[in-house]
Amino acid sequence: MLLSLNWLKDHVSLPKSATPAELAKRLTLHTVEVEKTENQAERFDKVIVAKILSIKKHPNADRLQIAQVTTGKDELTIVCGAPNIAPDQLVPLAQIGAILPNGLEIKEAEVRGEKSQGMLCAEDELGLGHDHSGIMILEKAKVGQSFASYLKLNDIIIEVDNKSLSNRPDLWGHYGIAREIGAIFEAKVKEIDLQDVKLESGGKKKSKDKNELQPLDIKIEDSKLCPRYTAIRIDNIQVKESPEWLQERLVAVGLKPINNIVDITNYVMLELGQPLHAFDAAKVEKIVVRSAKKNEGITTLDEKERKLEDGQLLITDGNQPIAIAGIMGGNNSAISNETKSIIIESANFDAATIRKGSTKLNLRTDASMRFEKALDPYLTESALKLAVKLIQKDNKKIVIASQLTDIFPTPPQAPEIELDLSWLNKIAGAEIAADQAKKILSSLGFGLTVKGKNHDGGEILLVKVPSWRATKDIAIKEDLVEEVLRLYGYNNLPAQLPQVAMEAPETNEDRILEHKIQTILAKENHLSETYNYSFTNEEELKKLNLDFTNYIKLVNPISKQHTLLRQNLVLGLINNVKTNQHKYDTIGLFEIGGVFFNVFGNIKKDNSGNDERLPYQEKQLGIVLASDDKEIFTQAKSIIQSLVHGLISPQTETVFAPTDTIVGYADKNLKATISVLGKNIGTISQLSEEGKKNNSLKKNVVLAELSFKELLNLSLNYGYKTYQPVPKYPPIVRDLAFVVDEKILYNDIKDAIKGFHQLIASVELFDVYSGDKLGAGKKNLAFHVVYQSEEKTLTTEEIDAIQKDLIKNLEAKFEAQIRNF
Amino acid sequence: MKNKLQKLKDEILEQLNQVKSSELLLEIENQYLSRKGRLGELMKEIKDLSADAKKEVGQIANETKNEIMKRYEEVKQKFEMGRNKNAFTDVTLPGKNLAAGHIHPITLIQKELEDLFTSLGFILLDGPELESDYYNFEALNVSKNHPARDMQDTFYVDKKNPAGEYDLVMRTQTSPVQVRALEKYGAPLRGISVGRVFRSEATDVRHEHTFYQMEGLMVGENITFADMKGVLELVGKKLYGPKTELRMRPKFYPFVEPGSNGEYTCFLCHGKGCRVCKHSGWLEIVGCGLIHPDVLRAGGVDPKKYTGFAFGFGLNRLVMLKYGIDDIRLFNGGDLRFLEQF
Repeated sequence: MLLSLNWLKDHVSLPKSATPAELAKRLTLHTVEVEKTENQAERFDKVIVAKILSIKKHPNADRLQIAQVTTGKDELTIVCGAPNIAPDQLVPLAQIGAILPNGLEIKEAEVRGEKSQGMLCAEDELGLGHDHSGIMILEKAKVGQSFASYLKLNDIIIEVDNKSLSNRPDLWGHYGIAREIGAIFEAKVKEIDLQDVKLESGGKKKSKDKNELQPLDIKIEDSKLCPRYTAIRIDNIQVKESPEWLQERLVAVGLKPINNIVDITNYVMLELGQPLHAFDAAKVEKIVVRSAKKNEGITTLDEKERKLEDGQLLITDGNQPIAIAGIMGGNNSAISNETKSIIIESANFDAATIRKGSTKLNLRTDASMRFEKALDPYLTESALKLAVKLIQKDNKKIVIASQLTDIFPTPPQAPEIELDLSWLNKIAGAEIAADQAKKILSSLGFGLTVKGKNHDGGEILLVKVPSWRATKDIAIKEDLVEEVLRLYGYNNLPAQLPQVAMEAPETNEDRILEHKIQTILAKENHLSETYNYSFTNEEELKKLNLDFTNYIKLVNPISKQHTLLRQNLVLGLINNVKTNQHKYDTIGLFEIGGVFFNVFGNIKKDNSGNDERLPYQEKQLGIVLASDDKEIFTQAKSIIQSLVHGLISPQTETVFAPTDTIVGYADKNLKATISVLGKNIGTISQLSEEGKKNNSLKKNVVLAELSFKELLNLSLNYGYKTYQPVPKYPPIVRDLAFVVDEKILYNDIKDAIKGFHQLIASVELFDVYSGDKLGAGKKNLAFHVVYQSEEKTLTTEEIDAIQKDLIKNLEAKFEAQIRNF
Repeated sequence: MKNKLQKLKDEILEQLNQVKSSELLLEIENQYLSRKGRLGELMKEIKDLSADAKKEVGQIANETKNEIMKRYEEVKQKFEMGRNKNAFTDVTLPGKNLAAGHIHPITLIQKELEDLFTSLGFILLDGPELESDYYNFEALNVSKNHPARDMQDTFYVDKKNPAGEYDLVMRTQTSPVQVRALEKYGAPLRGISVGRVFRSEATDVRHEHTFYQMEGLMVGENITFADMKGVLELVGKKLYGPKTELRMRPKFYPFVEPGSNGEYTCFLCHGKGCRVCKHSGWLEIVGCGLIHPDVLRAGGVDPKKYTGFAFGFGLNRLVMLKYGIDDIRLFNGGDLRFLEQF
């Protein structure tokens, strides 16, 4: 919202110290955020009125002329392209150093070999219109006068962030802001003088005597949606251009002048925050305020045909809509140049209804923006009176043609709030004197009565909330605390560190694990952490052969890419590979993130006790490796082993087992479940050729999905390490290599060796080989078998005997062909 | 035999005395001292001697060998030292680049804040990302008609309550964790919650529908506005240095009253005004206020007995300011050229 400083000064006398910058700062620190202040004149800095002395042709360019001008002080030579200049004309001259509103900076230049010491300006170059046909020729100007003073620009425009006004319906006009400024600077705020606006009212129908005015015929169907409707009819109107002062005011705060009637209604809105609407009275017999019926429509003032939905509040003439209440008027009852008689509406509408209506229509207007903030219903009458006053001032011949008709069935009571000033100081942590607190509240319009004293002698006040703050803004004593503190100044309050009993915070194991995983994967395994969106879409799932039917959907997605809530991290990681595959040979990424399932979980939905639950959601860990290397599946397994070692213990074994569970995107030979200490913690798989093709991936891609919950359980329950005494006796290591059928699993062989004898302490695979020499379908495995006793030094003979039996066993069990070293 | 040994010894020592280069030394080693060198060959002959002679000659042979080897080592060392003295090493040659991984910048700043707050005794709190309308709005005093509840601002999912309304949302803020935590722990309580939040907003350089927040609250019997200022001042100094000041101004949030905005002295220009702080000298960093009594009540805490404050930061903004990042979409873009800078 734009505010004019001159306009504010009509209402409040500011102290000299209140420079525009100071005013902006204090408003920001105490009331609303000022985004910027602009001195109108600064827009035309270094632009002055100059007089053309003589003109000659440019020697090197047919279309250019060289003007000799005077600024009153200096004579300057200016090259000019416009044909409309002549000696003795007064023209705007942008001097060297001027920056024009369109951003053009004026420098001393040579134009086709001729020096030019400035620029003569056309309208558009000064941001004053679109005319570029010639240089502006000025009338009633003085040579050397600043162009800003020629335009009578002497205002400061203050731009306030609308969002910071969202809870303050009273600040949507200059008067409301002036009231705040008065309280901030302890300056007097003048009341708006409506004493001389005497209008008949009462609402009763009078006899048809010529001298007595009738009320207007107004019916409100639901006073909840329209708590108050005030209107008056004025005849003998002449629609014309507004007086200059009014146009200047509107233009200064960014509104386009239209005609005297519309401009006055807008002026009142900008003054008091109360939107008004003027109907052409010839087209409106009576007024009925009601909700829209099915299939109703209206053409609004912007000449758009609009379909109305259920619940849309309308102003009708008893038959068809003539305005969308609080949002925009209809074309059928609009003021035109022929209008002789008007009805001015000053109404109060239900904020939520207006907001919903304006959202549905996707139509936000200056009026709807104000109504949706919940305006003070007591404002309608004074706003209407102000409008009448201004119309009268503009045209003495107008005739008031109706009573001031006011439908206000249930005027709300001013709320009263008890405020204990000692309590206020207690929660502020400050010592604000009672007199100061009271002065602040009174200056904001609160009515104060001392109700009593509390036990420590502090005053207890009964605070009466003014109507303009009572609609939603101020309801409880904490709201009053804010009023006192913000005007006292948040920055004038003391700061202290809380004095509380020392306590060790409960440990968040989830978070500890998360950070451990991040460290192990990034710092030890050289993966990079990535964050992907929580959303996916059907197409992505289809490309990976994944079922997409049981996903939670967004009702209102904003893009086609993000329509479903993700159930795994794989999709995001695959997209990451796609993003990076042309720039990197190898890609290694991980993400820890939430996934969402279409079943109920354990987290409760509210505290009503009806035991409704939120959909199941959990954290997962996803890892992706991508490279041209064929061994990438093994590399990924190494990373998972390293993670398990880091999270649980260096001795903990990770077991990969074949799985029949179909993962749609996995190569059928390269997928396995991952388990640790008997717990399944996730899966690992290589993307199938089809999956690669569907996702335009060139590299081999291995994906691992791990359950965060299982990792947490394991690390909490097994994450401690017990010291194992260092063996007293030396181990004996025997190597064992043999050829078996390739389908016989490492897991089974390893278990068979390890479980074969109690003296076998560990088994370590050190080589796997398959190739032509061995024959098709065969593989060679080589193990270190470590024998260890806790009781004695083992002898070669002992071990030879066990090893011999072991070999026999392997031959029998796996048809292993032992190879000698 | 003794003579032979003596003669060979003299010959070798003579050679060693005259040797001029390490290459020649290597030749001497090969010729005399290696396993099949002349000294070795001669010593093999000892085993053919009689037992007595073997004993005598063996001892002499050993002494001879030791003497030769000692001298040999001396000479060798001399060459090596000489070489080290004269050899040139380019110390500017780089070490090997070891592969490195990277942690997401949001995680980095999250960790920094978590460490700060846990050191002050705050619990790390968590809450669901898919949240109920109740915890995300109602319990936080956001009325049914508040614009924040519009579909334009909030992602709803396709689950309706018995009244036929969509009542599950992608949480729009970390604040619902406040109420859940108050229900779970009661008062007194101090905690922070960091996480992912969502707004139904088209993305561009400055807007994202998915971003990250940190929320904090402190509830107790005598918690004051001054306490809030104290904690936020401390946070500012930890984030941006000991000279950082806090400036507060009123701002409306439905779940606090009084509500405020906290700005810190711009860390780049130290308050003088620059491009980063839009020439104001201040950076708007935190939203805060005293917890609204309705919110305390929703969390089962008696507002007559307890008060508290709450505050929230946008983590993306903190990270963007810290590293000068100018496009918010980079955080969820998965581009390694971005990620590997951290």
